[in-house]
Amino acid sequence: MKKHSLPATMVTIVLFILATAYLYPLFLVVINSFKTFSEITSNVLALPKRLVWENFQNAFKIMNYPRYFLNTLLATTVGVCGVVLVSSLAGYKLSRTKTRYSFIMFMILIAPMMIPFHSFMISLVKVAKQLHLIGSPLGLGVLYWGLGSSLALFMYHGAVKSVPQELDDCALIDGASPLRAFFQIIFPLLQPVTVSVVVINTMWMWNDFLLPLLVLSGSKKSLTLQLAAYNFFGLYKVEWNFAMAGVLLTILPAILFYLSLQRYIIKGMVAGAVKT
Amino acid sequence: MKKMLVGLLALLVALSPLVAAGQQEKKDEPVTLNVLFYSPELAEQYNDMVAEYKKATGVTLDITVLQTDYRSVLTSRLNSGDVPDIFMSSAYADNSTYKDYVYDLSNEDFIKQIEPGALQGVISDGKVTGYPFLVQSHSFIYNKKVFRDNGITTLPKTLAEFEAVAKKLQANGVQPFATGFKEFWVLPQTAWQAIANVPTENYGGYEKFVGMLNSGALKFKDIPQMSQLFDLLDLIKKYGGPKPNESDFNDQTSSLATGKVAMIHQGNWAEDSIRKTNPEVEIGFLVGPTGNNAATAGIMFDSNQTIRIAKDSKNLQAALDWLRWLTTSEYGKNWIPGKVKQLSPIIGAAAPDSYIAKETSALLASGAPGYPWFYQMFPTGTEQQLGAILQGYCAGLTNREQTLDALDAAYAKIAKAAQ
Amino acid sequence: MTQLRRKQLNRGLVFLLFTLPAFAAILVSVEIPFLMSVVSSFTKWNGLDKAQTFIGLENYKELFLDDQDMWKAFGFTLRLTLGSVIAVNLCALLLAVILDSDIKGKNVLRAAFYVPNIISLIIIGYIWRFIFSAGFDSFYQKTGWEIFMLSWLGDVNIVYFSVLLVSLWHSLGFYLVVYIAGLQTVPRDLIEASMIDGANRTKRFFRITLPLIMPSITVCVFHSLSNGLKAFDVIFSLTNGGPGNTTTTIALDIYRTAFVINRFGYGTAKSVVLFLMILILSILQVRVFKRREVEV
Repeated sequence: MKKHSLPATMVTIVLFILATAYLYPLFLVVINSFKTFSEITSNVLALPKRLVWENFQNAFKIMNYPRYFLNTLLATTVGVCGVVLVSSLAGYKLSRTKTRYSFIMFMILIAPMMIPFHSFMISLVKVAKQLHLIGSPLGLGVLYWGLGSSLALFMYHGAVKSVPQELDDCALIDGASPLRAFFQIIFPLLQPVTVSVVVINTMWMWNDFLLPLLVLSGSKKSLTLQLAAYNFFGLYKVEWNFAMAGVLLTILPAILFYLSLQRYIIKGMVAGAVKT
Repeated sequence: MKKMLVGLLALLVALSPLVAAGQQEKKDEPVTLNVLFYSPELAEQYNDMVAEYKKATGVTLDITVLQTDYRSVLTSRLNSGDVPDIFMSSAYADNSTYKDYVYDLSNEDFIKQIEPGALQGVISDGKVTGYPFLVQSHSFIYNKKVFRDNGITTLPKTLAEFEAVAKKLQANGVQPFATGFKEFWVLPQTAWQAIANVPTENYGGYEKFVGMLNSGALKFKDIPQMSQLFDLLDLIKKYGGPKPNESDFNDQTSSLATGKVAMIHQGNWAEDSIRKTNPEVEIGFLVGPTGNNAATAGIMFDSNQTIRIAKDSKNLQAALDWLRWLTTSEYGKNWIPGKVKQLSPIIGAAAPDSYIAKETSALLASGAPGYPWFYQMFPTGTEQQLGAILQGYCAGLTNREQTLDALDAAYAKIAKAAQ
Repeated sequence: MTQLRRKQLNRGLVFLLFTLPAFAAILVSVEIPFLMSVVSSFTKWNGLDKAQTFIGLENYKELFLDDQDMWKAFGFTLRLTLGSVIAVNLCALLLAVILDSDIKGKNVLRAAFYVPNIISLIIIGYIWRFIFSAGFDSFYQKTGWEIFMLSWLGDVNIVYFSVLLVSLWHSLGFYLVVYIAGLQTVPRDLIEASMIDGANRTKRFFRITLPLIMPSITVCVFHSLSNGLKAFDVIFSLTNGGPGNTTTTIALDIYRTAFVINRFGYGTAKSVVLFLMILILSILQVRVFKRREVEV
């Protein structure tokens, strides 16, 4: 063990102060979500005199929280699983096949990373309508497959290079079908990338706003939490206490997900990001 | 990690029948009307009406209420064929924007129950393209107690009188205005009201005025009375507190309600928020100055928010039945004055329990002009674009001359594109 | 011969089996819609009428010759991108170096800096509007510092920094994590060797660490660059482009052209140009940075 020197301790203290300041805005959200409206108007910074749980009850009820939570979970899960599946398959094969066609296919598949979403969203809704993907969390999840796959595929494509080629060959000689060989031997070895793909896509799909708005707003039962929160803000423009409770309820699942997976997340993000 | 994922999946599978069941629960019910509305502040009132209609007829209205993204959502839904049975838009210029989608209400019996004045904004080429939802008014709202406490007894009408009042308030340590300049829709409402008298006085009426602007025969920079508009903005900014460009709707309503400021430029839709913030507040309505002529100082009074019926809807008849119910049934007639607490366009409707609605009627009865929302006749999109340019003026980015040039350039472009 | 043929065919089928699902998904969700938009960029269309009028290159002509607003938005987008690329990468790298050293509670600190990154930008904009208005008023009453009385979202000279501050606050955690990982890949023996050579800290960082973490820098700069050029959400919810269009980015300008002014064809022409711009800048940036990467 090294001894901590005085400057190091100083740095630590400074960093903790900095981190506190960094999280202060969130702290404000938390304390104000427990206040009455008149407390907020008189002083935003003060601690609540008593915890007003009614704000949360109100937000929970009006946002129709359980249903929209499930919708969001469904869309996110379908989306993430699909992205992992299609992009790992394609990323693996494209990385292994070194022909010109393979390269062209690779370029076609990663080009969407450069396309701004707003430029094609109207046509996307049109296409989605034709395919009956509108108005349900399931359909939303399916739409995410294509939207999330470019980056994921890019990450898998890079990571596959570190898996020795001999492994594929062995499996094939054993007589396993190509798909089976991939899922039994290669896919488990790609776990670090998979974790990062899961994390990046979960955070994005959970927090996504515009696409759900475009494809789900026609059917009230299928909204996601983000949409519910947005409607809630509209309804309670002035009553910050309700709105803050709504904010907290919306971000809480994401924060819990992050904290429970923190170790994997940091590893996963890094594995994916550096490989790209 | 794996365990968590498996657990999550299991949970999802266990719960998905619930979700699926929810999606198909109402199979044997007669009709569900799909509705896209804005004004989320009215969500409670919408819900109340939906429940009542369901009780009366068994028909469900599935209303989605949006605000900022309303137009993009509506555009993509109309475009993709996922057309709501009933939707909302502005009047005037929007009549032609949605012309390919809306049902002509001219021959519906219930249209005869609507005040002819309220219908003006929705008639296009002789067709009734929509149903006027509300009659609204905007001008200056003031806090009566603040005025009383500061000894202001004569209500201002001209720019000079407004300035005198503001000076007096400021001297007493009260902030005269909350500007609302951060909202791109508040600024144009404030600004155009300052020249609301000009089109009829100098250019032969609103339609001619807008027609000349559209064809390019008239430019903003050639309208001498544009100075009234700039003078008013300058005044509000000067007496609008330390952060005039940061004031939004929330700031306006809460500051007025708590008595932190004395006046805001807003419409009757703000009353609900103001009274929510402070139930005891007493507010009144002022005419807005059009330069220094007290006789032309008036309020902006019109029906702009419009309900449109999709002509290709498979529930067309049900949608029309709903409008008929809204116009003729006891509850429907009373919904806008009684629950929404705004002025109803239906002939003979009750007066709402609302300070601003009452004062609007009183002001109009006393002979103050009620101007139409003529800026809604400008081509679609000008509200935001011109609003941003005026916001630039208020933020000190451009002087009057540059602002006028920018307004003309932006207007010409949008008018050309809208042809 | 048939044997070989069959083998080739088989290989081709397997290739398709693996790549077609991704191809189909991406085609449906991105590329077909984008191509449909590109077609619209040659039309005059409001996004609503059933008829679109073909006008050739008119939209592109207007865009390059007669659209000051778009070029102003372009200028702001570049300034914002430049500012955020520099700020976020410098801050993240500096913090990463400190958090990579032997410090107590570094896991807690890493988590703390990461949390804002989890929250969606719509909500972030909402939170910060609350802080800039109600929060700063309370701070001012407490401290009396003039800085809280500045109009952070209303003064055209300050609003750039407010936007920058909020996006930095939001995204720092992500880049921090990537840099920490990069630093951890630097072999300890190289560092120790240089310590024996007597190189001081700063020298060691610039001579040894920096070249070795160049891949992370490439990734981070690429990420921050394309995110900056596509910036939309944070602006939309924080300033809505104001005051007076000073903070309107290209993405917001496109959105407005298409959905507020209802010039859908013209809006898509702008987005095609934005796509090409991002493409060119990304390629340039990756080329420049790749050249500086060293293999261990």
